[in-house]
Amino acid sequence: MRRAVLPLAALASLGLWLLAAQASLPLAQWPDLPWQPDRMQLPQLLLTQGLMPRAVVAVLAGALLGLSGALMQAVLRNPLADPTTLGTAAGAQLAIVAATVLAPQLFAGGNLPVALCGAGVATALVMVLAARRGFAPVTVTLAGMLVGMTASALATALTLAEGHYLLSLVIWNGGALTQDDWHPAATLALALIPALAASALLARPLLVLSLGAEGARGLGLSAAPLRLSALALAVGLSALVSAELGLIGFIGLAAPAIARGLGARGLPRRLLIAPLAGAVLLSLADSLLLVLAALGGPNLPTGALTGLIGGPLLLWLLPQMQAHVPPGAETGTAQSTRAPAPGRRMALLALVLLTVAMLTLFAGRGPAGWGVIPPELRESFLPLRATAILAAAAAGALLAGSGAVLQRLTANPMAAPEVLGVTGGAALGYAATVFVHPAPGQLALALGAGLGASLTLAGLAAFALRRDIAPARLLLAGLAIGAFAASVLSAIMASGDLRAWVVLGWLAGSASAVTPAAAMTLAVLALALLGLMLALGRWLEILPLGPDVARALGLPVARLRLGLILLAGLATGAATILVGPVSFVGLMAPHLARSLGLIRPVPFTVASWLIGALLMVLAAFAARTLGSPYDLPLGLCATLIGGPWLFILLLGKGRA
Amino acid sequence: MTLFTLEAVTLEVPGRRLIARLDLILHPGCVTALIGRNGSGKSTLLRLLSGQTRPTSGQITHLGRPLTAWPARDLARALAYLPQVTPPAEGMRLAELVTLGRYPWRGALGRLRPEDHAAIAMAIARCGLAGLEERLVDTLSGGERQRGWIAMMLAQGARTLLLDEPISALDIAHQVEVLGLVQRMCRETGLSAVIVLHDVNMAARFCDRVVALVSGQRVLEGPIADLMTPAALARVYDLPMNVTTHAGHTFALPA
Repeated sequence: MRRAVLPLAALASLGLWLLAAQASLPLAQWPDLPWQPDRMQLPQLLLTQGLMPRAVVAVLAGALLGLSGALMQAVLRNPLADPTTLGTAAGAQLAIVAATVLAPQLFAGGNLPVALCGAGVATALVMVLAARRGFAPVTVTLAGMLVGMTASALATALTLAEGHYLLSLVIWNGGALTQDDWHPAATLALALIPALAASALLARPLLVLSLGAEGARGLGLSAAPLRLSALALAVGLSALVSAELGLIGFIGLAAPAIARGLGARGLPRRLLIAPLAGAVLLSLADSLLLVLAALGGPNLPTGALTGLIGGPLLLWLLPQMQAHVPPGAETGTAQSTRAPAPGRRMALLALVLLTVAMLTLFAGRGPAGWGVIPPELRESFLPLRATAILAAAAAGALLAGSGAVLQRLTANPMAAPEVLGVTGGAALGYAATVFVHPAPGQLALALGAGLGASLTLAGLAAFALRRDIAPARLLLAGLAIGAFAASVLSAIMASGDLRAWVVLGWLAGSASAVTPAAAMTLAVLALALLGLMLALGRWLEILPLGPDVARALGLPVARLRLGLILLAGLATGAATILVGPVSFVGLMAPHLARSLGLIRPVPFTVASWLIGALLMVLAAFAARTLGSPYDLPLGLCATLIGGPWLFILLLGKGRA
Repeated sequence: MTLFTLEAVTLEVPGRRLIARLDLILHPGCVTALIGRNGSGKSTLLRLLSGQTRPTSGQITHLGRPLTAWPARDLARALAYLPQVTPPAEGMRLAELVTLGRYPWRGALGRLRPEDHAAIAMAIARCGLAGLEERLVDTLSGGERQRGWIAMMLAQGARTLLLDEPISALDIAHQVEVLGLVQRMCRETGLSAVIVLHDVNMAARFCDRVVALVSGQRVLEGPIADLMTPAALARVYDLPMNVTTHAGHTFALPA
């Protein structure tokens, strides 16, 4: 049964492709194809120079991405590694966007060198951190996602600064497979053959390496050059696909997981099956889109769909998959110093927050340049600014607070509303409301986003919390939901529907459109969350010790988990409704709190709350001033401020 | 009244029957060893006794009351359970860990009263941890950390302690220390303890009674002396063993 999955899927893909090809040129006329471009008519050209190379490109690119992901997972012994989660693809994307906007002459040598540079730098950054933390999978994924987020934020900032490039880049981001000749297919094929040969050579050394660096050294293999060469190969393959086709996420993560799920035990088999799985997956996705377009549907970029297929598939495979984490690999993350006087640090944080809020309220950049707001403008400007600052701070506090609660609940430093797909669900709910409701008001949008967030959390709870939460498993489920949401949203973007721009405007996040009443509501909610977190301190202290201990102490574990998850979902939903799914404040703030030595539940949650508010106030200030007179997206600024800071902190802590 | 009564208790997971129609009575006021080979179901049985897992069928009563009829916090006041692997207690001081044991008495919001502080101080003192209260749990030695968790169980005020291989990661000095502590506790204050153990000699030295499992079935239940015969040991471990006596203690050695 399992063995038949890949061939059956391949057959289905071929059938769908034929169906689409048939629509542009009936099958009966195929034998008459002249096979020489200058003697062909338009439908014949479309078939031989468009659809046929596109099918081949899909297969080749899928195989390359699958191989790249399998290699990365083997080198890092990390089932979560892939070009998307390690920041490789985002790095390549940033390099190409930056070169397009700032220095188009760099493309003289083609896309590949530029993409390779970006991919290499991003991966190297992640690896520097990974090496310091003993290649602990969760930390590596965290670092990779941070680098990826920051790179994407930079890329978006660049595109927004040069507005007219936007459309082409939206399509580029989504990974369009559209072809007009056979050159990309030939390039990819020429790359795939040596890549397969190289991985065959690397298979056995990598198998030895899977015993761990010490075990490998005992068998006479030195780990560093092997890791470097395998990783370089994987990065190169991913950059090649990025350069030719754009960002096609998730294939590199899904293909090895599918290979494992189909029972490919052992590394050499997995290195063989993963490219096959990747090829079939991408080809199936592309054929589906072709049929959809042939039936009169929208013409969507394929990258937007890979998440649609890959996400649910991964969710389905997860229970069968043992997401193994090498024992002891995560100990590095548990080492934290504890502040001697947490009360003083929290007071200091609160003071900093108030000062920054006041400063950004009165100072800023106006038409006359930097300065304090002049007295005659105060009456008209201050209420607007105060509302925006209050909304931003409250949203940051809500996101950070729910991130802190989720981290205590799961004892997983990677848990955050963004990582667990909650903001993705909220975004889907918002988009659905925009499209279903003829004229949605604030309340309808709020309800839609809140419902999306709660449904996502409930699904995740049903899926992952049924048993004890294995961090890697929960993370993969969250990533799958996030990728699913992202792909639906980019499909909406690429559809060119006018309503898509409403969603895009909200996605970027902006505090300036918030009404005073909404800002007050958010602030009240944030204060309520703070009160609850103070009251729940004892639960939040026991829960990280695991369900066994919690149950032995008489905690109603199941109900408590559900309640806290709903609380986090509501808080996240409330924040995202008004200011968009702000990126990674819910992940960053608790980490920053921990790095300040605030570890006990009450100082930890309170400090996360304060830092979240602070981050968002700073982000709102940056969003208002950097692109003056236009507002930059709020979420983007938050990522740009917090991402590098967190990265440096992780780097500085060093080996445990 | 019996400590635990099991009637036809069965636990199945998909494809496997871990505990098969087990009838068993455990007595209060003594240290009972749970013995068996790897995979024989002893940890599973302990989880069933602690209420961590519910049996597929059959009934378990504690002090004459079915486990399912105990409210969670009442059960936690009566039963304390120590899992086989104690979780890392990130950034927690020893005193704070022991304080968690008062949760069943004070809940999420109740303030700690003088008797809570007295119970905490007593538990720390009994476990010989005085002076280490301000140390971070993760920086303690293996033996100290294990005793810290046992102190948390004592602070819980439970009359029954359930311990899953509490000495598997300890050196012999710490093994004697931890088991001696449990034994003293039961002798002096009338507590009951059920301990999963791998080492039959440690069981013989520190336990009063024994339950031996083979493939989820009980093969032996009685005073610990019943286990220390070549025939009984061969039945439990499927391995020929010699039993000798030295200075009043019985020892088993592989033949």
